[in-house]
Amino acid sequence: MDALIEKLKGQIIEQLNLVELKPEEINPDSPLFGEGLGLDSIDALELIVLLEKHYGIKIEDPKDGKTIFQSIRTMAEYIKAQGKS
Amino acid sequence: MVKAYINGTGCISSQDTINDQWFFDPVVEPNGDYYNAIEPSYKEFIAPNLLRRMGRAIKMGVASANLAIKQAGATKVDAIITGTGLGCFEDSERFLLAMLNNEEQFLTPTSFIQSTHNTVGSQIALIMKCHDYNFTYVHRGFSFESTLQDALMLFSEGKETVLVGGIEEHTPNFIILNRKAGKFKIFDHHTAFWKPSAKGIQMSEGSTFFVLNKTKTEKSLASVDGIQTLYKPATSDVILQKLYSFLKLHSLLLTDIDVCLMGFSSDIDFDKQLRELLPVIKEETIAAHYKHLSGEYHTASAFALWTATKLIEKQQLPEVLAISNKKPNGIKHVLIINQYLGINYSFTLVSKC
Amino acid sequence: MSQHIYITGLGMISAIGNNVQESLASLSHSKTGIGKINYLTTRYKDDFLAGEIKLSNKELADLVNDHNPELNRNSYIAMLAAKEAVQHSGIDTSDGLRTGIISSTTVAGMGKTEMYYKDLFEKNDHLDVLDTHDCGDSTERIADFLGNVDYVTTISTACSSAANAIMLGCRMIKNGLLDRAIVGGVDALSKFTFNGFNTLMILDKEWCKPFDENRKGLNLGEGAAFLVIESEEALKKRNGKALAEIIGYANANDAYHQTASSPEGYGAQLAIEQALQMSGLKPGDIDYINMHGTGTPNNDLSEGAAVKAVFGAHIPKFSSTKAFTGHTLAASASIEAVISVLSIQNGMIFPNLNFKTPIAELGIVPETTVVKMPVSTVLSNSFGFGGNCSSLIFKKVD
Repeated sequence: MDALIEKLKGQIIEQLNLVELKPEEINPDSPLFGEGLGLDSIDALELIVLLEKHYGIKIEDPKDGKTIFQSIRTMAEYIKAQGKS
Repeated sequence: MVKAYINGTGCISSQDTINDQWFFDPVVEPNGDYYNAIEPSYKEFIAPNLLRRMGRAIKMGVASANLAIKQAGATKVDAIITGTGLGCFEDSERFLLAMLNNEEQFLTPTSFIQSTHNTVGSQIALIMKCHDYNFTYVHRGFSFESTLQDALMLFSEGKETVLVGGIEEHTPNFIILNRKAGKFKIFDHHTAFWKPSAKGIQMSEGSTFFVLNKTKTEKSLASVDGIQTLYKPATSDVILQKLYSFLKLHSLLLTDIDVCLMGFSSDIDFDKQLRELLPVIKEETIAAHYKHLSGEYHTASAFALWTATKLIEKQQLPEVLAISNKKPNGIKHVLIINQYLGINYSFTLVSKC
Repeated sequence: MSQHIYITGLGMISAIGNNVQESLASLSHSKTGIGKINYLTTRYKDDFLAGEIKLSNKELADLVNDHNPELNRNSYIAMLAAKEAVQHSGIDTSDGLRTGIISSTTVAGMGKTEMYYKDLFEKNDHLDVLDTHDCGDSTERIADFLGNVDYVTTISTACSSAANAIMLGCRMIKNGLLDRAIVGGVDALSKFTFNGFNTLMILDKEWCKPFDENRKGLNLGEGAAFLVIESEEALKKRNGKALAEIIGYANANDAYHQTASSPEGYGAQLAIEQALQMSGLKPGDIDYINMHGTGTPNNDLSEGAAVKAVFGAHIPKFSSTKAFTGHTLAASASIEAVISVLSIQNGMIFPNLNFKTPIAELGIVPETTVVKMPVSTVLSNSFGFGGNCSSLIFKKVD
């Protein structure tokens, strides 16, 4: 799980061009949207593509992102649950 | 007649225009057949969470708008009007190539969203929380001219402060393809820029913004008194007749113009009609030019307006701009005659205020 | 200076017809133009629906009667719609009055650029796409096709573009800069825009259902529409006939998000209120609203909230006609301006197709069948990326 979380951090930084951020600065449990990393609805769409591109997971309804993208940990758990890690 | 008082300018171009002290010295020459804009460090102008998504056109646009607003000391504007020939080309190209290379798969929305032509105007509105009038013009060599025309109308309709700007960016691929299509030419030191012997321009990019005011204030640097565009004038005689009527509208003769900034691009065909006008201009006023410094792009006329404002502010015509040998005796009126591809012509009258 | 702006000519091509007469027939028979993708090349052609013009590029070239290889789909349809509008109005651009062409587009020449872009690096064919890629190209094609044009410009403010072109035409006439203008917008379908909207996950795979609780998104369409507008003086001079008057317009910005509209539709409220104020009408005077109504969850909720805020409990009859044409982006506001004038001329409100269940948060119900009633005033809304919100008000000529 920890390895997957670290991998996700790097992928998210790259996909969202978070150049100011280092992986160690991201708490895997802090919220991705709103206060935590301050991501928005466009980033949510970017994360959907990230899951498809790197993990072969297809999300058809953007509303599903709300629960999956709560934090990096929930993302990792979702990937694990899909058997795609 | 309504005027637009220029209260602030911000210019990112192929020259060091971002430096407030720069007055056409020293000048930068192109990289052979094209220019790159000299860009500032954007961290000073734009928050990191916004910066991470922005392409260069958006960054240049937001930063130069910021400079203009700062200089004018404006806290709010009543309208934001941008002009751009190709818009956010970098993002358009990024999305296009990703789509073609990945056969329409794994595409992400960011570059598509940013590729929209009105992105610069809407980003400025978002940052300034400006709910007012917001327009983007995208017509070739009339893109920036249309913003000025619109601002003058808004003033006669009662608006007080308007932000206008012209933005253009190029990409390495765009340069490669246009070069292949024979559109460029290596900058020639030995021949006068306005007497070219071959086809081709030096392509460039940049972003120039102005805060315009309906009423004159102590910040006012110069005024835009009038603007007119001409689409495909048949002959240089037609241009001259239209120019005389344009000046007459402002109760001026060509001899009242202290400096005429002419949009020679160094392409033998595109410059033909301006070349035919040059003897008259030299006879009745003082001819100067600017595209040897700015390079050619759809909104190079915004660089010309920035230049006109500087000339009026400093009351000097630097040697590097001059075509005529005469020196102006004070600069009250500057006339810009721009041309783009020999198709889009415009007159802009700028005056001391 | 003229303070009255009259509409004297209409031209339109879209999925519901190649001209105004065909469009009216489709509208009054509730016949949508949205269907299976036939002309656009995309790997998703069997997965999505679109509102395509039912003509190939070759057939369009024949119709325009111009086989210049530099022309692209955007230019063909722009030229066809502009020509129809000019012929309909009966204006003569060589009569010495000042004529402007104010067009708008978002996709411009992308439909052709995307076909050849990669080839350009390896081969020497099709380098002309470099000259026809930009937004100004189709506008200048119209200008050259019609001749004797004194002013040209092009606007691109995403999906509100044509509303702003119409507005600019009105303002230039009122400011004494033009006597008349041919105003509108054009957007042909392209793989680029199709994939762009797909990445935003706002395309419905079925027919779009504007203002329905279960709406999933929009269907893309393509089209061009132009209106000839004239000053009172210009109209009198040639003894022309007015079809309708433009009595209100406004442009405001939501300044909320790059693509999404604010939940309360603040920018939309501003645009509607300011257009009403200019027209001198009270909200209760509006007979019909042609909504932007794209069918996306966000737009319809936000627009509905704005309309409720302005009109209160007395919302006029309303519909979105995008389930007929698809969302034609830059052209949509001029297509809907033509539809608004048709509504006034024919005393008909055209239905909001595919609607079943009202949106729970709003509880508002659009017209779902053709309603025959006198229509004197129409409000038309158009919104776009970047928070652009524009509203226009049309009035029957007494």
